[in-house]
Amino acid sequence: MKLFRTAFGAALLVACLDKPALATTQNVIFNGTISPTCTLVIATNGTMTVSPDLQTLSSHNSGGSAGTVTLTTTGGVSLSVDPVTTTTVPAADTTSTTWTPTYSSAGAHSIVETGSATAISTPGADLVSVHLAGTKGGSNRFANGNYQATVTLRCE
Amino acid sequence: MTRFGTLTAALAVGLIPVAAAAQSMSPMRGEVNSFTDVFAVRVYPANPYDQKIKVEIHVYDQDFQPVAARISPSAFQLGSQASRPVLVVVPFGGAAERKVRICTESIPFPNQQTQIRAQICGKFFGHRKS
Repeated sequence: MKLFRTAFGAALLVACLDKPALATTQNVIFNGTISPTCTLVIATNGTMTVSPDLQTLSSHNSGGSAGTVTLTTTGGVSLSVDPVTTTTVPAADTTSTTWTPTYSSAGAHSIVETGSATAISTPGADLVSVHLAGTKGGSNRFANGNYQATVTLRCE
Repeated sequence: MTRFGTLTAALAVGLIPVAAAAQSMSPMRGEVNSFTDVFAVRVYPANPYDQKIKVEIHVYDQDFQPVAARISPSAFQLGSQASRPVLVVVPFGGAAERKVRICTESIPFPNQQTQIRAQICGKFFGHRKS
Protein backbone atom coordinates (compact mmCIF):
# COMPACT_ATOMS: atom_id res chain seq x y z
CA MET A 1 0.00 0.00 0.00
CA LYS A 2 2.82 2.31 0.94
CA LEU A 3 4.56 1.50 -2.27
CA PHE A 4 1.38 2.25 -4.20
CA ARG A 5 1.03 5.65 -2.58
CA THR A 6 4.61 6.53 -3.33
CA ALA A 7 4.29 5.41 -6.93
CA PHE A 8 1.02 7.29 -7.37
CA GLY A 9 2.48 10.46 -5.90
CA ALA A 10 5.53 10.24 -8.10
CA ALA A 11 3.40 9.64 -11.17
CA LEU A 12 1.24 12.67 -10.32
CA LEU A 13 4.31 14.79 -9.84
CA VAL A 14 5.74 13.73 -13.18
CA ALA A 15 2.42 14.38 -14.85
CA CYS A 16 2.36 17.91 -13.49
CA LEU A 17 5.83 18.74 -14.74
CA ASP A 18 5.94 20.70 -17.95
CA LYS A 19 2.41 21.96 -17.43
CA PRO A 20 2.21 25.75 -17.47
CA ALA A 21 0.35 27.33 -14.59
CA LEU A 22 -3.05 28.51 -15.66
CA ALA A 23 -3.21 32.31 -15.54
CA THR A 24 -6.45 34.18 -14.96
CA THR A 25 -7.17 37.80 -15.72
CA GLN A 26 -9.74 40.06 -14.19
CA ASN A 27 -10.59 43.55 -15.28
CA VAL A 28 -10.61 46.34 -12.73
CA ILE A 29 -13.12 48.93 -13.75
CA PHE A 30 -12.84 52.58 -12.82
CA ASN A 31 -15.79 54.92 -12.99
CA GLY A 32 -15.82 58.67 -12.61
CA THR A 33 -18.58 61.22 -12.85
CA ILE A 34 -18.02 64.94 -13.05
CA SER A 35 -20.97 67.15 -12.43
CA PRO A 36 -21.00 70.67 -13.88
CA THR A 37 -18.50 72.84 -12.06
CA CYS A 38 -17.38 76.39 -12.39
CA THR A 39 -14.60 78.48 -10.91
CA LEU A 40 -14.53 82.26 -11.06
CA VAL A 41 -11.33 83.98 -10.05
CA ILE A 42 -11.44 87.75 -10.09
CA ALA A 43 -8.17 89.11 -11.41
CA THR A 44 -8.88 92.83 -11.45
CA ASN A 45 -11.74 95.12 -10.63
CA GLY A 46 -12.83 97.68 -13.20
CA THR A 47 -12.39 101.40 -13.43
CA MET A 48 -14.96 103.84 -14.78
CA THR A 49 -14.23 107.24 -16.21
CA VAL A 50 -16.62 109.98 -17.15
CA SER A 51 -17.35 111.01 -20.72
CA PRO A 52 -16.64 114.56 -21.93
CA ASP A 53 -20.36 115.41 -21.79
CA LEU A 54 -20.49 114.09 -18.20
CA GLN A 55 -23.47 111.89 -18.98
CA THR A 56 -21.70 108.55 -19.06
CA LEU A 57 -19.56 106.96 -16.38
CA SER A 58 -18.19 103.84 -17.96
CA SER A 59 -15.37 101.36 -18.12
CA HIS A 60 -15.58 101.76 -21.90
CA ASN A 61 -14.60 105.42 -21.75
CA SER A 62 -11.07 106.58 -22.34
CA GLY A 63 -8.96 105.75 -19.31
CA GLY A 64 -11.48 103.22 -18.02
CA SER A 65 -10.86 99.53 -17.77
CA ALA A 66 -12.91 96.39 -17.55
CA GLY A 67 -12.80 94.06 -14.60
CA THR A 68 -11.26 90.71 -15.50
CA VAL A 69 -12.25 87.31 -14.26
CA THR A 70 -10.85 83.89 -15.05
CA LEU A 71 -13.54 81.33 -15.72
CA THR A 72 -12.79 77.63 -15.66
CA THR A 73 -15.59 75.18 -16.24
CA THR A 74 -16.49 71.66 -17.22
CA GLY A 75 -19.32 73.04 -19.35
CA GLY A 76 -22.99 72.56 -18.69
CA VAL A 77 -23.21 75.91 -16.94
CA SER A 78 -24.52 79.37 -17.64
CA LEU A 79 -22.75 82.72 -17.26
CA SER A 80 -24.63 85.94 -16.56
CA VAL A 81 -24.50 89.31 -14.84
CA ASP A 82 -27.10 90.70 -12.48
CA PRO A 83 -28.64 94.16 -12.67
CA VAL A 84 -26.63 96.54 -10.54
CA THR A 85 -28.30 97.18 -7.20
CA THR A 86 -25.42 98.25 -5.00
CA THR A 87 -24.03 101.67 -5.78
CA THR A 88 -22.46 104.51 -3.86
CA VAL A 89 -22.66 108.00 -5.30
CA PRO A 90 -21.47 111.36 -4.00
CA ALA A 91 -23.98 113.50 -2.14
CA ALA A 92 -23.94 116.03 -4.95
CA ASP A 93 -25.38 113.50 -7.36
CA THR A 94 -29.11 113.68 -6.81
CA THR A 95 -30.31 112.47 -10.20
CA SER A 96 -30.97 108.93 -11.27
CA THR A 97 -28.45 106.81 -13.13
CA THR A 98 -29.11 103.79 -15.32
CA TRP A 99 -26.44 101.16 -14.74
CA THR A 100 -25.79 98.58 -17.44
CA PRO A 101 -23.40 95.70 -16.72
CA THR A 102 -22.09 93.63 -19.62
CA TYR A 103 -19.44 91.00 -20.15
CA SER A 104 -17.49 89.36 -22.91
CA SER A 105 -15.26 86.32 -23.00
CA ALA A 106 -12.14 85.21 -24.82
CA GLY A 107 -10.46 81.84 -24.65
CA ALA A 108 -12.14 78.48 -24.96
CA HIS A 109 -15.45 80.23 -25.43
CA SER A 110 -15.81 83.46 -27.35
CA ILE A 111 -18.69 85.52 -26.08
CA VAL A 112 -19.43 88.83 -27.72
CA GLU A 113 -20.17 91.54 -25.19
CA THR A 114 -23.64 91.01 -23.83
CA GLY A 115 -25.80 91.61 -20.81
CA SER A 116 -27.75 88.39 -21.25
CA ALA A 117 -27.06 84.92 -19.94
CA THR A 118 -24.85 82.66 -22.04
CA ALA A 119 -24.98 78.88 -21.91
CA ILE A 120 -21.55 77.26 -21.89
CA SER A 121 -21.72 73.65 -22.95
CA THR A 122 -18.08 72.72 -23.46
CA PRO A 123 -15.16 72.67 -21.04
CA GLY A 124 -12.37 75.19 -21.01
CA ALA A 125 -10.90 78.32 -19.51
CA ASP A 126 -11.67 81.89 -20.42
CA LEU A 127 -10.79 85.43 -19.53
CA VAL A 128 -14.05 87.26 -18.91
CA SER A 129 -14.10 91.04 -19.20
CA VAL A 130 -16.79 92.75 -17.15
CA HIS A 131 -17.88 96.25 -18.09
CA LEU A 132 -20.18 98.70 -16.37
CA ALA A 133 -21.71 101.84 -17.77
CA GLY A 134 -23.80 104.38 -15.94
CA THR A 135 -25.78 106.87 -18.01
CA LYS A 136 -27.82 109.93 -17.20
CA GLY A 137 -30.54 111.28 -19.40
CA GLY A 138 -31.79 114.73 -20.24
CA SER A 139 -29.81 117.53 -18.70
CA ASN A 140 -28.53 115.44 -15.79
CA ARG A 141 -24.78 115.13 -15.27
CA PHE A 142 -22.45 113.10 -13.11
CA ALA A 143 -21.14 115.03 -10.13
CA ASN A 144 -17.74 115.49 -8.58
CA GLY A 145 -16.92 112.76 -6.07
CA ASN A 146 -16.48 109.04 -5.66
CA TYR A 147 -18.70 106.49 -7.31
CA GLN A 148 -18.73 102.82 -6.54
CA ALA A 149 -20.79 99.99 -8.00
CA THR A 150 -20.81 96.24 -7.61
CA VAL A 151 -21.40 93.91 -10.53
CA THR A 152 -22.41 90.34 -9.79
CA LEU A 153 -21.00 87.81 -12.24
CA ARG A 154 -22.81 84.51 -11.88
CA CYS A 155 -21.93 81.04 -13.02
CA GLU A 156 -24.62 78.45 -12.39
CA MET B 1 -32.90 61.93 16.64
CA THR B 2 -35.45 60.76 14.10
CA ARG B 3 -35.27 64.12 12.38
CA PHE B 4 -31.50 64.00 12.38
CA GLY B 5 -31.56 60.52 10.97
CA THR B 6 -33.92 61.53 8.21
CA LEU B 7 -31.79 64.50 7.32
CA THR B 8 -28.75 62.31 7.18
CA ALA B 9 -30.60 59.88 4.95
CA ALA B 10 -31.71 62.69 2.71
CA LEU B 11 -28.13 63.80 2.31
CA ALA B 12 -26.96 60.30 1.58
CA VAL B 13 -29.67 59.61 -0.97
CA GLY B 14 -29.32 62.70 -3.05
CA LEU B 15 -25.75 63.79 -2.97
CA ILE B 16 -22.24 62.56 -2.80
CA PRO B 17 -20.50 65.61 -1.43
CA VAL B 18 -16.93 65.80 -2.58
CA ALA B 19 -14.67 68.59 -1.46
CA ALA B 20 -12.40 69.99 -4.11
CA ALA B 21 -10.00 72.76 -3.36
CA ALA B 22 -9.90 74.25 -6.82
CA GLN B 23 -13.63 74.81 -7.17
CA SER B 24 -15.67 77.65 -5.91
CA MET B 25 -18.50 75.38 -4.89
CA SER B 26 -19.26 71.72 -5.28
CA PRO B 27 -21.52 70.06 -6.04
CA MET B 28 -23.43 72.36 -8.38
CA ARG B 29 -26.25 69.94 -9.11
CA GLY B 30 -28.21 67.57 -6.92
CA GLU B 31 -31.48 65.85 -6.20
CA VAL B 32 -32.51 65.04 -2.68
CA ASN B 33 -35.28 62.79 -1.40
CA SER B 34 -36.63 63.59 2.03
CA PHE B 35 -39.31 62.13 4.26
CA THR B 36 -39.75 65.31 6.30
CA ASP B 37 -40.92 68.83 5.55
CA VAL B 38 -37.34 69.92 4.81
CA PHE B 39 -34.46 68.66 2.75
CA ALA B 40 -30.79 69.11 3.38
CA VAL B 41 -27.87 69.75 1.10
CA ARG B 42 -24.21 69.91 2.00
CA VAL B 43 -22.08 72.07 -0.25
CA TYR B 44 -18.38 72.82 -0.21
CA PRO B 45 -17.43 76.40 -1.08
CA ALA B 46 -13.77 76.76 -1.91
CA ASN B 47 -11.40 79.68 -2.08
CA PRO B 48 -9.22 79.57 -5.20
CA TYR B 49 -7.38 82.77 -4.28
CA ASP B 50 -4.03 83.21 -2.64
CA GLN B 51 -5.61 85.28 0.08
CA LYS B 52 -8.30 84.86 2.70
CA ILE B 53 -11.75 85.90 1.51
CA LYS B 54 -15.15 86.39 3.08
CA VAL B 55 -17.72 83.97 1.70
CA GLU B 56 -21.49 84.19 2.04
CA ILE B 57 -23.98 81.48 1.25
CA HIS B 58 -27.45 82.42 0.04
CA VAL B 59 -30.44 80.36 -1.04
CA TYR B 60 -32.77 81.56 -3.79
CA ASP B 61 -35.79 80.14 -5.54
CA GLN B 62 -36.11 79.85 -9.31
CA ASP B 63 -36.92 83.56 -9.58
CA PHE B 64 -33.94 84.51 -7.44
CA GLN B 65 -36.10 85.43 -4.51
CA PRO B 66 -34.51 84.62 -1.13
CA VAL B 67 -35.57 81.36 0.50
CA ALA B 68 -35.81 81.10 4.28
CA ALA B 69 -33.37 78.24 4.58
CA ARG B 70 -31.17 77.35 7.53
CA ILE B 71 -27.55 77.80 6.51
CA SER B 72 -24.74 76.68 8.78
CA PRO B 73 -22.61 78.75 8.56
CA SER B 74 -24.02 81.43 6.28
CA ALA B 75 -20.96 83.71 6.30
CA PHE B 76 -17.38 82.95 7.14
CA GLN B 77 -13.77 83.65 6.30
CA LEU B 78 -12.15 81.06 4.09
CA GLY B 79 -8.41 80.68 3.91
CA SER B 80 -6.41 80.51 0.71
CA GLN B 81 -7.03 77.33 -1.30
CA ALA B 82 -9.29 76.04 1.45
CA SER B 83 -12.81 74.68 1.39
CA ARG B 84 -15.26 73.83 4.10
CA PRO B 85 -18.66 72.15 4.34
CA VAL B 86 -21.83 74.17 4.66
CA LEU B 87 -25.13 72.55 5.59
CA VAL B 88 -28.24 74.03 4.02
CA VAL B 89 -31.68 72.91 5.22
CA VAL B 90 -34.47 73.98 2.88
CA PRO B 91 -38.17 73.87 3.80
CA PHE B 92 -40.57 72.44 1.25
CA GLY B 93 -43.11 75.07 2.27
CA GLY B 94 -45.98 72.63 1.83
CA ALA B 95 -44.97 71.64 -1.68
CA ALA B 96 -44.15 68.12 -2.83
CA GLU B 97 -40.94 69.27 -4.49
CA ARG B 98 -38.83 72.37 -4.56
CA LYS B 99 -36.07 73.72 -6.75
CA VAL B 100 -33.59 76.09 -5.20
CA ARG B 101 -30.31 77.71 -6.01
CA ILE B 102 -27.60 77.64 -3.39
CA CYS B 103 -25.09 80.36 -4.13
CA THR B 104 -21.60 81.02 -2.89
CA GLU B 105 -20.84 84.72 -3.06
CA SER B 106 -17.73 86.70 -2.42
CA ILE B 107 -16.20 90.06 -3.19
CA PRO B 108 -12.52 89.17 -2.99
CA PHE B 109 -11.29 92.69 -3.67
CA PRO B 110 -13.62 95.16 -1.95
CA ASN B 111 -13.34 98.93 -1.76
CA GLN B 112 -12.66 99.42 -5.45
CA GLN B 113 -14.59 101.73 -7.76
CA THR B 114 -16.14 98.92 -9.76
CA GLN B 115 -16.03 95.78 -7.74
CA ILE B 116 -17.06 92.37 -8.93
CA ARG B 117 -19.03 89.91 -6.86
CA ALA B 118 -18.39 86.36 -7.97
CA GLN B 119 -21.42 84.18 -7.50
CA ILE B 120 -21.38 80.44 -8.05
CA CYS B 121 -24.83 78.91 -7.89
CA GLY B 122 -25.77 75.26 -7.71
CA LYS B 123 -29.21 73.99 -8.63
CA PHE B 124 -30.82 71.53 -6.26
CA PHE B 125 -34.09 69.66 -6.51
CA GLY B 126 -35.80 68.37 -3.39
CA HIS B 127 -38.48 65.67 -3.52
CA ARG B 128 -40.72 65.07 -0.56
CA LYS B 129 -41.53 61.39 -0.10
CA SER B 130 -44.55 60.31 1.91
